[in-house]
Amino acid sequence: MSAEAGDTGKAGVIVAQEDAPPMNKLSHAVLDDLLYNVVHDLLLKVHRDEKIARANTAAIKVEKLAKSTTDGTSTDPKPDVEIETDAAIYKDGKVMLKGNPLKSTKEILCPKCHLPRLLYPTDGKGAKKPDPGVIYCKKHPYIEKVGYDIYGQTWVAPGPGRGKKKKDQKLDPNDPSSPAQGEGSAKDRPSNVLSFPSATCPKCKRCILVTRLNNHMGGCIGNSGRNASRAAAQKISNGSNGGSQNNDNTPPGSQKGTPRPGSRGASPRKRDGDEFDEDAEDSDQPNPKKKKIKPNSLTKKVILKAKSSAAAANFKKDKAKASSMLNVEQTPDDDDAKDSTVQVMPKKPTPTLKGASPTKKIKLGAAKPRLPSPAGKKAKKDRDLESESSGTMSSPPPR
Amino acid sequence: MSARPATPASPKNYKVRATQPGQPMYGCEHLQRLFNQDQATTNTSIQHYRAILRSIFDTNPLVPQTSKAADGAVVTSLTPTYLCLQCPSTLTEDDRTKHGSKKSHRFYVDSRSGALYCQMCDDIVWDPTFEELRLKKIGTGTFSNRKRKHEELFETSDPVRNNPTYITSNTTIASCKSSGLRGIYNAGATCYQNVVLQSFLHNPILRNYYLSDGHSSSTCNVPYCLSCAMDDMFQDFYALETTNGYTAANILSGFWFSDRRAFDNLVATKEQDAHEFFQFLAEELHERNGDGKKPEIGSEHSCNCIIHQTFYGKLQSTTTCQNCSGVTHQVQSFLDLNLPLENLSHKKGKKTLSRGQLTLQECLEEEYVKSDKCEYRCHNCSSMQQARRQTTIKRLPNVLSIQLKRFEYKQGRNERAAKIDTPVQFPLELNMLPYTNRGRAISSNGHDGGKENYELARSCTYDLLSVVVHVGEIDTGHYVSYCRDGDQWFAFNDHRVELAQKSDVLNSKAYLLFYVVRSLS
Repeated sequence: MSAEAGDTGKAGVIVAQEDAPPMNKLSHAVLDDLLYNVVHDLLLKVHRDEKIARANTAAIKVEKLAKSTTDGTSTDPKPDVEIETDAAIYKDGKVMLKGNPLKSTKEILCPKCHLPRLLYPTDGKGAKKPDPGVIYCKKHPYIEKVGYDIYGQTWVAPGPGRGKKKKDQKLDPNDPSSPAQGEGSAKDRPSNVLSFPSATCPKCKRCILVTRLNNHMGGCIGNSGRNASRAAAQKISNGSNGGSQNNDNTPPGSQKGTPRPGSRGASPRKRDGDEFDEDAEDSDQPNPKKKKIKPNSLTKKVILKAKSSAAAANFKKDKAKASSMLNVEQTPDDDDAKDSTVQVMPKKPTPTLKGASPTKKIKLGAAKPRLPSPAGKKAKKDRDLESESSGTMSSPPPR
Repeated sequence: MSARPATPASPKNYKVRATQPGQPMYGCEHLQRLFNQDQATTNTSIQHYRAILRSIFDTNPLVPQTSKAADGAVVTSLTPTYLCLQCPSTLTEDDRTKHGSKKSHRFYVDSRSGALYCQMCDDIVWDPTFEELRLKKIGTGTFSNRKRKHEELFETSDPVRNNPTYITSNTTIASCKSSGLRGIYNAGATCYQNVVLQSFLHNPILRNYYLSDGHSSSTCNVPYCLSCAMDDMFQDFYALETTNGYTAANILSGFWFSDRRAFDNLVATKEQDAHEFFQFLAEELHERNGDGKKPEIGSEHSCNCIIHQTFYGKLQSTTTCQNCSGVTHQVQSFLDLNLPLENLSHKKGKKTLSRGQLTLQECLEEEYVKSDKCEYRCHNCSSMQQARRQTTIKRLPNVLSIQLKRFEYKQGRNERAAKIDTPVQFPLELNMLPYTNRGRAISSNGHDGGKENYELARSCTYDLLSVVVHVGEIDTGHYVSYCRDGDQWFAFNDHRVELAQKSDVLNSKAYLLFYVVRSLS
């Protein structure tokens, strides 16, 4: 605090009243000096960044110019030429500044890609329209806009209905129609509106929407979570009163994603129940997409099972599939087969697997009549299948 | 100025910093003239600049802030003064011009920042040579550091490595667009993971480690290795142009596959504690990169792994028997400092009536300066004795992580955990010296000042790196975090990244704080 100033500091902003007591004046002066220092430090920082960036820009420009004049021998990183621009001199491989780069240089070039930097955000606070004729460095100023992130992106609201639909679309990565549809909906939105992505579970290799990933992995890898308790509850109910799955109001089709090793082979009744519920669910499923996917994964599993274990309940399914591959003859039982075959066709690996040993499957299928499956239930199932099969077969696209 | 040492007759010739592509050689034309006069001028200029920097950063600020006017009046000012580069005068801004025209000295150093002012440009000049010295002084306190030795070593042993074409052909240059600023999608109640991952991603030590192939996922054979997942994540953040959120599927699967149980009650849908996840991740990464020993809580465990180099420090607790005055020391490693708020917030609440504000320094003082009473079995007395126990920090880590324990158990009818919402003020710049045993020794000796202490204080200065904030109740809520990239702060809310003001950061009710030691940056 200079003594002659008396009632104020260097900034001269915080001024005590004329008649203020000396301590009062002193404290005003100290505060004023501190304010000066704050502004000084801020200014120094901005000044440093800006001036160094401009000085480097001047250097980059003159170096570029030097290189372009000796284009024939451009392998030399330090061409022996003398070049002068408004801002800098290039001589003996060195760059010397001319004048103050803050005055002589107006733009800032990126030191990495040597393209001009965009100096204003393209949207939000302080935005300016960039010159469309200029290719800018890809590093843009960050955007400050309510509801948008620093890149000007925003996200589709993951509403409950939409979220579910998304999941269903992306359940099967091999299904050619689902990514196509994803693109279609993306086209409807502006490019800065993003949707939630999906990721593959490393254990079961299924594609899961990111918002469900933790839940899925908890069940798939960690063997915990909602599905575990549900599966346990179902096991209990299966054990106590077999064949009561018709009344089960939780669609087990939604749990099919989690492979439960051992459980299938051990309880053929449950297998049947699953199939039944699955089909029943499909019949009132308005979206054929879903239908395509579900039997797909189901049949795959079943085949694997049939190869490894001789679980009786699987024979019927396999036989049905195999016969539909070989002949077009339709038996009531083959409705089921048609159903699954039509859906399975798009997927490549499965048909080859099927075609590998049709005879074996037929043989296995022959054992079918001795199945211990509950007759009444089966009848009901066939009825259901008949009611829906014609539509499905004749027109696989929308119904 | 007498404080400045006379120029020693050193045979060493100072060199102007070698020219770099895309950078001018000198700060301005006038400095160019100064450096091109002769070697002696260059030597004295650089020596003087170093001496001035030393007097600014290693002594009492009174010295550089005191100037002598032309009429002999000595004035100490709060605002910057200017130290002449060519003679030992300190001047005010007004006297600077007079001094210049009288002695034709043209260069002055700002007494608060060490920046160089050129009178002919009438502007601050950022000369590469001087600026390198200044930044080194601010950072490490020395002008030549180990790093330079390391470089010299490389130069002699491996000339290939020094060839710029070798470097460019063997380095993948990331696009200018990739900045490491991306959100992470919430995979269903995983915001507690996202905030910790973000703080790891913006940790310069971990970033350099992973980006320099410290743990390469292509050569690691451990299935579902979390360190590989971290490596992939760092690559994705800093090498790709993607600005969309990141799906941390590998981290998540590594987390679920891990043998280590991160939480007692691990249910996918349940919200978890970010601090516990931090501990889990740190221990898991230590196991993947370190000596393979499991870190034991409460013991002294040294390891050269990246996690230990980054986060681990050492605490020393000293127990003094009140009966025989026997002293026992115990040293243990720490991953983070856990500061309880419970007692302090109650104390404060009583004192000021209103729900008072706490400062981080008060919390640290409570834990690492004050001593508490305890009972322990004294070896000398061979009986249970009253004792004073005091804990100080023996070795500070490179990245200091602090947990503010924002929970307490309410006594009463229904005993349950409650959240403490008391705001705790934390600084952008934290001096940890008072909480170390060296800092304690200094304060108990009573003498203050001296070059060593300034250097010590500098080595204990930390800058805030990231803040994890929990909003909501004790059992449910949401985690958000703030991380700094350069001087700019960003708010991370799962996949959303937004700009944040310093005031947003400092006004947040922090749960976890990460500070990085200044001498590193």
